[in-house]
Amino acid sequence: MTILATEALTKRYPRVTALDRLTVEVGAGVTGLVGANGAGKSTLIKILLGLVPASEGSARVLGLDPATQGQEIRRSVGYMPEHDCLPPDQSATEFIVHMARMSGLPRIAARERAADTLRHVGLQEERYRPIGGYSTGMKQRVKLAQALVHDPKVIFLDEPTNGLDPQGRDEMLRLVHRIGTEFGISVLVCSHLLGELERICDHVIVIDAGQLLRSSAIGELTQASQVISVEVEEGLEKLAARLTETGETVVVEGRSLTVQVRADETYDLLRDAVVDLDLNLVRLEQRHARIEDVFR
Amino acid sequence: MSQPTGVIHDIGYRHYDGPRLGRGAGAVALFVYSLRGTFGLGRTFKSKIMPFLLFGAMMLPAVVSIAIMALLKQAPMSYTDYAVFMQPVIAIFLAAQSPVLVAPDLRHRVIPLYLSRPVTIVDYIGAKFAAMIAALLILMVVPLTVQFVGELLIDLPMPLHTHEYLAALGGSLLNAVLLASIGLALASFTPRRGLGVASVIAFYMFTLAASAVLTGVLESEGHRDASSWSILLNPFFLVNAVQTNLFGTQPVEGLPFPSEAGPALILLAVVALALAGLYARYRKALAA
Repeated sequence: MTILATEALTKRYPRVTALDRLTVEVGAGVTGLVGANGAGKSTLIKILLGLVPASEGSARVLGLDPATQGQEIRRSVGYMPEHDCLPPDQSATEFIVHMARMSGLPRIAARERAADTLRHVGLQEERYRPIGGYSTGMKQRVKLAQALVHDPKVIFLDEPTNGLDPQGRDEMLRLVHRIGTEFGISVLVCSHLLGELERICDHVIVIDAGQLLRSSAIGELTQASQVISVEVEEGLEKLAARLTETGETVVVEGRSLTVQVRADETYDLLRDAVVDLDLNLVRLEQRHARIEDVFR
Repeated sequence: MSQPTGVIHDIGYRHYDGPRLGRGAGAVALFVYSLRGTFGLGRTFKSKIMPFLLFGAMMLPAVVSIAIMALLKQAPMSYTDYAVFMQPVIAIFLAAQSPVLVAPDLRHRVIPLYLSRPVTIVDYIGAKFAAMIAALLILMVVPLTVQFVGELLIDLPMPLHTHEYLAALGGSLLNAVLLASIGLALASFTPRRGLGVASVIAFYMFTLAASAVLTGVLESEGHRDASSWSILLNPFFLVNAVQTNLFGTQPVEGLPFPSEAGPALILLAVVALALAGLYARYRKALAA
């Protein structure tokens, strides 16, 4: 199912071209949008929300045209901006109820959804206290809650892990993954950190200077460069030599050996080589290449 | 061992399949939310102090007037001059509460959250404008109405001031529209609340002083015609002039206001200019 698609989408500002003939398609699930700062991610989101007109080309979100049906799109889409956007003198509950009403929910429904959503993003008793006193992690959760409160079909998350410590990052990523799978809401998540997206996305789109660099399923990316890492007590060189003889690509990295998986036989060859040479095997693990490696 | 009695079940994510209202409902909700905000309702106790203190100050003359009617059997305070006499209180309310409506959203960058929803920037400005008009109307109309109810209940040896009361209601609406547009336009130019308060108060003080000085000078120079226009620099006199011309009531202090449509056109022009400024301000915020 196609959630959104763009066709030669171009956005020119007086001084810069933010998007340059971008053609992408995003399906259900979690999709990562990767690009350096200024690559055009925020501009793309603004166009998709129908807030900024495109210079050329077209886009569709949930089958609707942002240029003419922005309102219908915004009714079923959630947006979490990158920057701070919360009033400090209100409690999370009050604020989220208000935002739910702005999305068109009746009063009672807004209260129920706000309570539900805040529970899902993991805000407990503190939701009754003013937002001004929250930690960065809690604020990010409130920002996420306001994007989710009206039960959208798609949400756009702009750098959701910004400013979080490693534990906060893990929790936020888990939450984003849950939204895409358990909640059944499609997610377009922007980031400039590939490593993060790799853990939660089904699909990754890479843009640079407003142009599409690559768009592919996460499996394709990591499978293409699967490697095995081997560690033995002694005789690393012998093993490397034996494997090279049999036609495998081997790199010695310090105390371990990295073997490219050519085909399924590679696993058997490796096992046999270790047995034949009578080596003490310490570790044998499959290492997924980082997406970074693919785009290097 | 006893069994746990209260168990919280994780019922998982539930989708919402109830009604989804359009942008009109969103704009109305924003209007109500903003109007409550101008009186500090649903906010901290601190934010209620100022509006209620000023509301009390507005009520005081009406209460005193009722007492005078009841005890001395004298005519009530002039309905049509009420706003002019109470202008410092109304101006302070405008200065204190206009920034409450616009500054936090600008300062904390909440506007993108509104714009990612069905409401548009015009709905947003419209709701804020309507909320400020309603707040000013409550401030001005409640004391007038209380005094009128008092007049109805007390048997005075004179006819009721029904026409004056109704004219004052019309004048209050004009006043609310004019002041709300100026107050919001000035307050929206700074995301800082304190600066917003200061700029609205400064604007009022300036018009107050300029109107008085200019009128005095022109009058002493013998330019009676020009002086009757210069007095309209003060927004409260401008509204009083329009009210006088529109409803045929007595001008405040018997001032010689320009007759016919002149003052009304000025009022309309000022409101249009202020709203255009407000719109331009938010267009800029939208592009950022």
